[in-house]
Formats: sequence, C-alpha cells, structure tokens
Amino acid sequence: MDAFADVWRRLRSLAGRRDLDDRLDDEIRFHVEQQTEKYRRAGIPPDEARRQALIRFGGVEQKRQETRDQFRAPRIENLARDVRYGLRSLWRHPAFSAMAVLSLAIGIGANAVIFGVVHALLYRPFPLAQPETLVNVYETEGGRGFNLMSHPNIEDLRRSTTQVFSGIAASTFFPAPVGSDGTAQIVMGELVNGGAFAVLGVEPLLGRAILPEDDVARGGHPVVMLNHAYWQRAFAADPQAVGRTLQIGGRGYTIIGVAPAGYRGGFPLLSPAFYVPMAMADELMGAAMLTERDAHSFFVKARLAPGVTRLQAEHTASLVADGLTRARPEGWVPGERFSLVPTADVQIYPGIDPLLRAAALLLVAVVGLVLLLACTNLASVLLARALDRGREVAVRRAIGATRVMIARQLLVESALLGLGGAAAGFVLAVVLLKVLVSIDLPLPYTLKLDSHFGIDSTVLFDWRVLALTAVAGALTGSALGLVPAVQGTRGDVGSALKTGSRGGDAPGSLRWRNALVIAQVAMSLVLLVGAGLFLRSWHKMLAVDPGFGRNPASVLTLMIPVARSTPDETVQRTHAVLERLRIVPGVEAAGLVWPLPLEFASSFTDFTIDGRVPPPDRAAFRADRVTVDDAFFDAAGIAIIAGRTFTEADRRDTQPVAVISQAMARRYWPDGDALGRVLRRPDPAERDLMVVGVASDVNVRSLGETPRDVVYESYTQGAAFPMFNFVVRVATDPSRISPVLVAAAREVDPDVKPVQSTTMAQHLAMSRLPSQMGAFMLSAFAAMAMVLATIGVYGLVRYTVAMRTREVGIRMALGADAAGVARLLATGGLRLALIGGAIGVVVSLVAASYLTKLLFGVGAFDPFALTGAPLVLGLVAWLAAYLPARRASRANPLAALRSE
Amino acid sequence: MTKEKGDVLQGTLDLVVLKALKLEPMHGWGITERLEQWSESVLQLGQGTLYPALYRLERQDFIRSEWRVTDNNRRARYYSLTARGRRHLQESLAQWRRMSRAINLVLDVTTVN
Repeated sequence: MDAFADVWRRLRSLAGRRDLDDRLDDEIRFHVEQQTEKYRRAGIPPDEARRQALIRFGGVEQKRQETRDQFRAPRIENLARDVRYGLRSLWRHPAFSAMAVLSLAIGIGANAVIFGVVHALLYRPFPLAQPETLVNVYETEGGRGFNLMSHPNIEDLRRSTTQVFSGIAASTFFPAPVGSDGTAQIVMGELVNGGAFAVLGVEPLLGRAILPEDDVARGGHPVVMLNHAYWQRAFAADPQAVGRTLQIGGRGYTIIGVAPAGYRGGFPLLSPAFYVPMAMADELMGAAMLTERDAHSFFVKARLAPGVTRLQAEHTASLVADGLTRARPEGWVPGERFSLVPTADVQIYPGIDPLLRAAALLLVAVVGLVLLLACTNLASVLLARALDRGREVAVRRAIGATRVMIARQLLVESALLGLGGAAAGFVLAVVLLKVLVSIDLPLPYTLKLDSHFGIDSTVLFDWRVLALTAVAGALTGSALGLVPAVQGTRGDVGSALKTGSRGGDAPGSLRWRNALVIAQVAMSLVLLVGAGLFLRSWHKMLAVDPGFGRNPASVLTLMIPVARSTPDETVQRTHAVLERLRIVPGVEAAGLVWPLPLEFASSFTDFTIDGRVPPPDRAAFRADRVTVDDAFFDAAGIAIIAGRTFTEADRRDTQPVAVISQAMARRYWPDGDALGRVLRRPDPAERDLMVVGVASDVNVRSLGETPRDVVYESYTQGAAFPMFNFVVRVATDPSRISPVLVAAAREVDPDVKPVQSTTMAQHLAMSRLPSQMGAFMLSAFAAMAMVLATIGVYGLVRYTVAMRTREVGIRMALGADAAGVARLLATGGLRLALIGGAIGVVVSLVAASYLTKLLFGVGAFDPFALTGAPLVLGLVAWLAAYLPARRASRANPLAALRSE
Repeated sequence: MTKEKGDVLQGTLDLVVLKALKLEPMHGWGITERLEQWSESVLQLGQGTLYPALYRLERQDFIRSEWRVTDNNRRARYYSLTARGRRHLQESLAQWRRMSRAINLVLDVTTVN
C-alpha cells in the first residue's frame, strides 16, 4: 500500500516537476546566500565568502540532482530525458535527421503501398464458406488454356454430376444501364444462377439472396440483389432500400436483398453493382446468351459433395465431356474437357495467375530492395555519426555515464529515427494510395480501382500493413542503432579524448561503412538495370505497329437491344446507326467490329480446307474470328491487299464470304491464290465461307504478336449481335466528338445504349499498360534507389573529407594543387562505387534472366540496359564523390589546419 | 559498499532532521545551523546533503513545507513536522534507544570480561 502511495506521489510530482525544480533552486540559492552572509560577518571578503559557502554546500549540481531523484520517477524520467536529449541532438543535425527519416520513409512507404496492392489484388480472401471444398470449373482443350464455360455446358455438367457436386454457382458480367432512359448510367451487373449464394455460403446482409425459384422462367423474375458497395454508394446504405424498385435496362427490378460487405462477386477483378437472376440474361444482354454452346462467358464454381475429392469430380466431369464429344451438339468442340482448379489456388484467373504472381513477386522484391537500401543508408549514417561523436561519448563517460547509459541513449536516438521514418512512411503511403485509387487508368471503361474493383484505400491499407509499417520502422531503427551503440561505446576514454574532435576512427567501423556503400551501389545498379530493361521493353512496345488505328478515331461501344428482332431487322437497325454516324460533321469513316482487336474478348471459328489435313489432334483448323462491316477496314486503317472488302451485295441470302488476314493467306495458300477458296465449317450452325479478300495483318490478342490467322466475317451474314464497337475515324479531336456521336445514334434509334466510349489511342494505350506500368514503377523505384545510393556515397566522401581536413591543410600548405587533393579525396568513394558496380552487374545478369517472362522484345542481356545503367550510376557516384572532395580542396589551408 | 554507508548515514540524518524540526519549524539553512551546533560530523559531506533528505522526508509525509518570510524579510521554505513525522520520530528514537542500550550492554559485558 505504501509502495503504491509512493509511486502515486512520484507520478503526481512528475506533473508538478517544474514547480519543484524552481522551489529547489530558490531554496539552494537562499541557503548559499545565508551561508555567505555568515562567513562575511566573520570577516571573510565577499567573493571568498561565497566560494567558501559553495564548498561548504558541496557540489550544488550534484546535490540538486540527488534531490531531484527524490521526487522523480526514475525510469520514466530517464526515458523521457533520453528522448528529449535524442530529439535535441537530432534537431541539431537537421540534414542528417531529415535524410535518415526520408530514406526510411521512402523504403517503408513504398513497401506499405506495394504490399497493400498485392494483398488487395491477389491475396484478399473471399468470404466463402469452406473454400477447401470449392473448385473453379473451366473448359479446356487438350489440357491447354482455361476458357470460361457456356451455359448449355454448365447445364449438361450439372445434370450429370449431382453425385460429385452438391451445387454449382455460375455468373457472368454485363454492362447494365441503370435509371430511366434519358439519364441511364452504365454500371457493371452480374448474372448469377439461382441458389449460387447458397452454394458459396454467402449470407445476405439484408433481405434474401437470389434463390432457385428466382431463376426459372426466362425474363420472368425481375429481382435484384445489391452489392454492398453499390448499396452504400447509390442508396446511402439505407436498409429501406430492400423492397424498392431499381430501373435496369428499362425495366423495374425489385430489390430483394443486399450482399455482405466482403463479397465482391464471381470474379475477383470486377466488382459488380448488383446481382440479377440468370434467367434475365437474354433480356439484359439483348442476345441468346443462355442457349449458345460457344458463348464462353460464365465463371463457374462448384461445391464438392461431402467426401468427394477433386480428382474424383474431375473424372466424372471428363465422362460428361466424352459424352458431349460423342453426341457432337452444335457449338461443342470435340475433345474439349472440363478442368477443375481448387478455388483457393486461384488468385484472379488460372491463365494469368502465374504472370501476376511473377509480377507481384518482382514488385515485392524490388520494394524490399529499396527498403534494404534505405536501411543500409541509415546504418551507414548512424555509424558515421557514432564515430563523429567519439569525443562526446568520451566526455560523457569521463563524467560518469556508464556504457549502458550511453548505449541506451544511442538506441533511443535510432529508435526515434525509426519511428519518425515509420510515421513519415505511413503518411507517404496514405498519400500514394489515395493517388493510386483515384488515378485515371487509360482503360476503355473509365475503370477506377475503388468503384470497379472494390479496392479503395481502406482495403489497400489494412491493419496488417499498418502493423508491418510500424514494426518495420521501429525494428529497423533500433536494430541499426545497435551496431554503432556497441561500437561507439567501446574503447578507452583517454585515447578518444586525446585524438581530438573527430574521435577514434575505429578501422572496423569504417570497414562496415565501406561494405554498406558497396552493397548500396550494387543494389541500386540491379534496380537500374531492371528499370532499363523495362524502359526498353516499353519503348519497343511503343514502336510496335499493331496494324490498325494509326489515325485518330473514336471507339464507341453501343448496345442495340435486338432480342425481339429478327436477324435482318437487327442488321437494318445497326446499319441505320452506322449511316447516321457517317454524316456527323468531322467523321471521315465509320465501321463496326466485334471483338475489337487487342480487346480482352476473343472469338474463333473452326474450318477445314479441301486438300489439306488438319493437325493430328484436331478435327479442323482454327482462326480468330472478327465480325465487321465493309467500312471497318477503312475506318481502322487496315489495307485490303488483294480482292475486295464486303459490299451491300453480301446479304444473308447470298454466298457467305470472308476476308482473311495476310498471315492466313500466306500459310494456307503460299502461292498467292487464296481468293475464291472455301473455308468449310464443321459446325452445322456456321455456313461455309468463300474468301473474297486479303487484309493486312493486325495484332489481335497481344501487341507485337506473330501475325495470327484471322477470318473477317460480315455482320450482315453472321449471327445477330446486340453490341458492337463502332470505330469512327475523325478529322477532329476524337474524345470530344464522342457525345455528339452517341446523340446522333440515339436519334435514329432511341433504344441504343452507350456502354463505353473511348478513343483508339486510349484503346492502344491500354494494351501497352502492363509494360508501361512495369517501366514506370521500376524506374520510380530505381530512381529512389539511386538517390539513396547517391546519398550513401556522398555521405561517405563528406565524412572522409571531414576526417582528413587537417591532412588536406598540411598537403595544401606544402604546395599540393587543389585538383590533386580533390582527386585523392574522391578516390576512396569512387573505388567503393566501382566494386559495388561490378558486383551489381553480375547480380543483374542473374536477376535479368528471371525477368524475361515480363519483358517484350528485350533479352535479358540487353546491351543498352547493361551499359546505360552503370554509366548513369557511375556519373552520379562520381558527382557525389567529387563535389565534397573539391569543396574541401578549395578550402583555405590555414583554416583547415586551425579547424582542429 | 557505498550504498550501505549511505544508508546508515541517511537513517541518522533523517533522525536528527526530524529531531531538529520537533523544536520549531525551520528553513534548510536553519536546520544545518542547528545540526552544526549539535555535531560537526553529521554534515561532513556538505550542507547540500540535507536537501535530498528533506525532499525524501516530505515525500514520505513526515514533514511538510511552506513559504514564509524570515526575520530579515527574506522568503524561505519552512519545514515542520507532521503528525505522522512526530510518530515516526518517537518510534525511531525508541528503537534507537533500545538498540544503543543493547549495544551498550554488549560493550559493557565485553569490557567487564
């Protein structure tokens, strides 16, 4: 009880400490004056009296301290004192402190951002019940590739796998016009089959989920379940929203429920606004989505029945595929199979996951390297400062500070730097993330990370990242403080005092610093080479001619609901829109296309050729299929090399014709006699095509690809499409004419709904985005690394120069010329940079070979990157070493000699 | 080693300070004057040694202090005994006496033999 009271009193006095200090001062002053007075009265002269009084008192400062100890809580006090002292000391060296904090802030901030993004994109768990019994189902050909499933295939699979699957959840996405016609906005909607939420184990937050009975009659169940984010955004999280009506595609949908906060739909990259029953697909998509076996649009997850393994299920599924191959229904590609991938193993999509993982790994490695670099910088600086403070430490030890006290002081200082760096890094990360989520990606949709991917700064910045940041900062700081703390307090006080202002230059610690600088230069060179490779890759990609879209053009995606139209009516309506677009002032050519080359979507057709045998494992040849009109080639700048384009005369009731790509013509008819040949199509739904023209090659799937076989079909002869990209070549600014074009289209057909509007330049930029992002990010990180390494080299040379001021003075006094001295001083730093550079080149060569997968048109041993990076770094290192050296050599020799 | 010596010294110092204050409230310098009258040796280490003791005793609630004006119009901090201090002094003195009697007894016995 007494102990408690004592602590309480100490703590209370902590608050009134200043008062107690003042009081003590007054008392001591009074005491000494009284004593002096007494001696004076005894006849001692005033000065001597005061001296005697002070002696009699016995060490004013010491007594004051001892007294203070009586009213202070020692441990808290000591820490507070160390912190105060540390702050003051850091404040006195603003350049040093700012550099250290900034280095750490860059390192920690970059890590927080990258970890946040990678985690949010790839490793954010979905709130699915028992994910270990869920599998993703894809269609695959001979084990190659992962295609989305078509609805008839899902239904066949469902019917025959009830033994192995307890349920199947399928979904697809569609651009949904929301609101009344005039003010309709396009948002992303998701079609799900009835009971999908129950299969996944996702419980609605409000109301109910979409049930099997919501998904029975085609077009008969206009109900909608809101996604959580959309509910918050569009309905201000109003619980009363359930039961209200939402206008989607011109029809009222009853809101039946709201999905829980964590659930973001059937595909991790897209965050839909709401979910509607699959039975509404045809009406909403304006096409027969559900009946076509080659409409590969559905993401599928299946729940394994209790006790069934994935392999057993896959076996059962393969029997279904074999049955389909035997039955040969329309649209089924013989030999196709179903592939089951554990849901937990899929990050985004099995086809691109390896690439994404590689990219994520690269980014994490790069930012890790940046953090390491920041840490070495801090370590190097702390080491230098510990040496610099040799005398300060010696003095403090001489007046009685123990080694532990001094080490504690140094540790507190470095921990302060660590915390400061962490705090600054945190702020930096928040700012960067804010910028990142609001950044306008050059995408065809105005895609934003927050509203479309369900990624906002709160998701990016989860508590794990926060904890990581704080711990990283405090730990790095303290850990780095340890070496100087131990080293700085070693050695004997006398010699440190004697050697003068610069303290004992322990050769060991200098070796440490040298090693750190070498490591820094090596690391930043590796990053620079990486940046060089990505810049080259991007540059190469910029130089690639995709074969179309060189001229300014506007690209509009328009939906023309044609579900209740005959194919001929569809063609007429589409044709009317095209004709109207062509007379808009400023329009030079207007054509339509689906899918637009280099769009994410792709389509293909199978065919045979008389006299040629298909590859052994296939029944037919295969080519990409692009549906266009006659003017598309002109609008997109694709040349007709031989034959003709389509004409008004190519109608549904005339001979179906095709234009093929030059690459395809060369492959099958190397003698140049492609025109007039026939592509026979095994699929009974597709009529045989006669080749009437050859078009110049374009990149269809990826930029810079080997030219592919492409079959262009006329929209007047193919299946009815509800949606087309209209490519409108214009003489003016394409982005500004888009609204005019949309208005013109709606003038002839009020049902037309704009899905997206972009420009050809943006569309092409999108296909370059990955390499551009890679180049940009790596360059940014490499620049950071170079700045850090530069600071490292600069700091080292500055430090060496400072240590040798006296030597410089003597040399200059003896007649050495300034340039020679500067060279001498800079040599040390440059030698380290050279060693670091050599190591960096070797490491780069090894590291670059891992990068080739992410590069375009650039080998791992790219001479440009491998010579450019060392040159840049060399120049910067030379400047960093030479500038401080030259300044020292310009100094007045007398001043230099006196400075010590 | 030094700590032990300090403890003995501290105990003694506390006792004489309390004893001095039992007579009348005094400021720090006044206490030293009084102590010097009693014994030169107590404050051998310097008059300043008094202050840690005063602050400690105040923290332990044995004495309290207040600002007062001295006879020649100077402001000084006057210390006085609290009830608790008075009790503590009595107990300490009693214990001291018991102790010294015991020591004396031992010494006497050894002298006799």
